[in-house]
Amino acid sequence: MSNEIRWVSALKGIVGEANIIHDPDRLAAYAVDGMVPRAVVSPGSVEEVSKLLVTATAEKLGVVPRGNGTKMATGGIPRKLDVVLSMLRINRITEHDVPNLSLSVEAGITLSAVQKQLAGIGKGSFLPLDPPYTEKATIGGIIASNGSGPRRYLYNSARDLLLGLKAVLPNGDVVAFGGKTVKNVSGYDMTKLLVGSWGALGVITEITTKLLPLPEASATLLVTFDDLTKAGSLARKVLHSVLLPSAMELMDEKAAGRLLGGKARYLTAFSLEGVGEAVERQVAEIGQMAQKEGATDTKVLGAEEERIFWVRVRDFALAADASVILRANFVISKQAEILGRFETLAQAAGVECAFIGHAGNGILTCYLLGDMSAKMGDLADLIGRFTAEAAKQEGNLIVEAAPRALKEKVNVWGQPRSDYVVMRRLKEKVDPAGILNPGRFVGGI
Amino acid sequence: MEKEAMVAELVRLVGGEQVLSSPMQFKLYEYDASLIRSKPDCIVLPTSTEQVSKVVKFAHDNKIPIIARGSGTNLSGGSVPVEGGIALVLTKMNRIIEMDIENQRVVVQPGVITLDLKNELAKYGYLYQPDPASEKVTTIGGNFGENAGGPHCLKYGVTSNHVLGVELVLFDGEVVNVGGKALDNPGFDLPGILGASEGTLGIITQATLRIMPKAEAVKTMLCIFDSIEDGGNTVTAIIGEGIIPATLEMMDNLTIKAVEDAYHVGFPTDAAAILIIELDGLKDGMDRLTEHILDICREHKVREIRVAKNQAERDKIWAGRKGAFGAVGRLRPNYLVNDGTVPRTRLPETLARVVEIGKQYRIPIANVFHAGDGNLHPLMLFDERDKDELQRVHAAALEIMRVCVEMGGTISGEHGIGVEKIHGMSLIFSDEDIAAMRRVKAAFDPLNLFNPGKLLPETEKAA
Repeated sequence: MSNEIRWVSALKGIVGEANIIHDPDRLAAYAVDGMVPRAVVSPGSVEEVSKLLVTATAEKLGVVPRGNGTKMATGGIPRKLDVVLSMLRINRITEHDVPNLSLSVEAGITLSAVQKQLAGIGKGSFLPLDPPYTEKATIGGIIASNGSGPRRYLYNSARDLLLGLKAVLPNGDVVAFGGKTVKNVSGYDMTKLLVGSWGALGVITEITTKLLPLPEASATLLVTFDDLTKAGSLARKVLHSVLLPSAMELMDEKAAGRLLGGKARYLTAFSLEGVGEAVERQVAEIGQMAQKEGATDTKVLGAEEERIFWVRVRDFALAADASVILRANFVISKQAEILGRFETLAQAAGVECAFIGHAGNGILTCYLLGDMSAKMGDLADLIGRFTAEAAKQEGNLIVEAAPRALKEKVNVWGQPRSDYVVMRRLKEKVDPAGILNPGRFVGGI
Repeated sequence: MEKEAMVAELVRLVGGEQVLSSPMQFKLYEYDASLIRSKPDCIVLPTSTEQVSKVVKFAHDNKIPIIARGSGTNLSGGSVPVEGGIALVLTKMNRIIEMDIENQRVVVQPGVITLDLKNELAKYGYLYQPDPASEKVTTIGGNFGENAGGPHCLKYGVTSNHVLGVELVLFDGEVVNVGGKALDNPGFDLPGILGASEGTLGIITQATLRIMPKAEAVKTMLCIFDSIEDGGNTVTAIIGEGIIPATLEMMDNLTIKAVEDAYHVGFPTDAAAILIIELDGLKDGMDRLTEHILDICREHKVREIRVAKNQAERDKIWAGRKGAFGAVGRLRPNYLVNDGTVPRTRLPETLARVVEIGKQYRIPIANVFHAGDGNLHPLMLFDERDKDELQRVHAAALEIMRVCVEMGGTISGEHGIGVEKIHGMSLIFSDEDIAAMRRVKAAFDPLNLFNPGKLLPETEKAA
């Protein structure tokens, strides 16, 4: 019996014939960077995940955990890819404690399904996360990638919201950390270690998170500028004011044009949420501040328009059909400066690019438009220049999506950092056989 | 290594003035705010990252335990050198390195006193949110090592939600930068795992903190109740109405009396409970929200409501709350405080059990708690010279931890495990969970020299 026949049969024994794919035609859809796995397994319980990982460790298989696959383009080219571990069948809401404002859900459920349920119970609550791929992104994928969106400006990101999680480690141990209290210093904060670990340390099976009551009121204010300096100045003034928008997004005309039509050179979008009086006042006050900065136009969106607008901002990658997506981070005061530099560099390189950034958080996402296949060398060069600019402002740049040919030319996780030495040691201790997402995380972990 | 040789070598590395080794000096560094005592073999007060790195490398090369320490206010034995070794006191590294207001960050050395930083920031109209009651004396390094909380954590999160980066000295003396001023640096969330690690993973020599503009408006209410259940139910009802105030603090009659006796802040000594509710944010809608909260209090039979009219009145209320431990400390020679945390809805029930436990073990218990977080602080009063009483206190403490776990909570919300709660770890963690934590420890500290004997129980299922 060949090795492969042996382990495929072992996996089949764990999840059952119906929950394994090993027909080559169907496997192609699960390829990562062009590498096709030998099998896709869909466990139905945490125990099955545990058994699968025990087998994978024994057989030294390369395992890639997966939800709905919205983030499969991120990360280094796998060193090894044998099994894709689909978490979609592990998808229950396990506890919803309305009065405690906490929720426990399994990894395979989508965030949108969770939000729909939460909104309908009692006075309504929500999980304040709004990462890309609104309809498809699963809780497990969002947490493993520390996914976030525009509203992190007010609500912070998953690392700050999670109260606890359960995971299966490469040796098959089922572990639980944190809990359902908002304060917890019992033992190491392993929850934070696993949030944003991109499946390199364990397979997240369940999370417990804080919830927030649905805001009493909300509004969205759009402000357009013909000059980036003015847009940057408004963002800075809001950032240092007492005002508390829930989102402040700054984008260029290519992004704004695709979202709203029209020809605004720069667009700043504010989301305001909270008590009615405060929302009203902030719309008025930011509107006045914008006028003073020389805005070309301001507009308040109606309720339904507002909802659609923010979904489209989050899901811009879908509409833009961008095959290359870059994400830079840097100190928060440099949003407009970085956007300006990137625009100039992209133009000089002849690359068409749309930009949307979290102007209160120092994060800028770049969507490279059009067919890039002919220019991989130029693109790699441009990514290097972008990265250097972000690094000058104490940040970095990661390649969120790119074809394999481009990944071969760049470091997809940006400039290496001094703390990789610790990360490597952590990986070696937790996953000594190197089965989870081998080669896909920082420093080739 | 011989102690004399160790001291001589450390003097050579960092200079004689920064190395202490007399028995009297050992006395000063053998304790924290818990009951645990143990002397170090040597005390070093470094003044730079480079010195910390040298001392750590020396300790590692010679297999000497090394225990980081700030002001020693921690409540679980975390900074007591239970296996001897070098007490690395970081209070001389107390510079604010950079006030980067433009980027809403500050970079500080670990020995900076929390309140000193806040006072400095106030000049710019900025705030660092975490507010442990001991902020007048605690250091930022200690706050991070224990992941300190405080009243305002209800709305703003605990210390690790505000520490974005650190400079870290690894076991072999290598200095690395973890996280930084920018958000979302690629890689594992190392600042996240270092928060609350109690000095067991490395030595922090610098921290980058998030700061925020001061809120436009603050409203502080003191609500007085004749029954502690009514107070607890009010807390649940406020959150249930979809309101998350900046703080929801409660104290019971024994605490109120002690505070009033010590500070004369005007708390009614016959009240069963008082609730301190603070709202902050934009002024718009705040009056309406205040009225809504006060209505909820009235529905729960509040006896009296006092809304602070100005900063002086507000300060008075908070002086009473922040001085609570000190005030209660005057009642008996010793107190042991637990900080078990339960889902906030289980608070009234948990409190009733705490009262029962006090009766059962014949220990007076004063209660102060971050009610909005479900974070209890039962202060068990006793005299440590009375061995029987001491034993009963420890038994009561373990029992309270068990109750918190039974309620779906945890054994420590903000004070840490240290030595004191190490036997409680198996109440909440399986052997597999602890084994995973051990792997993290081994990745950072292969020879187990950073603060040995803390946080992770030696034997599984110790309780």
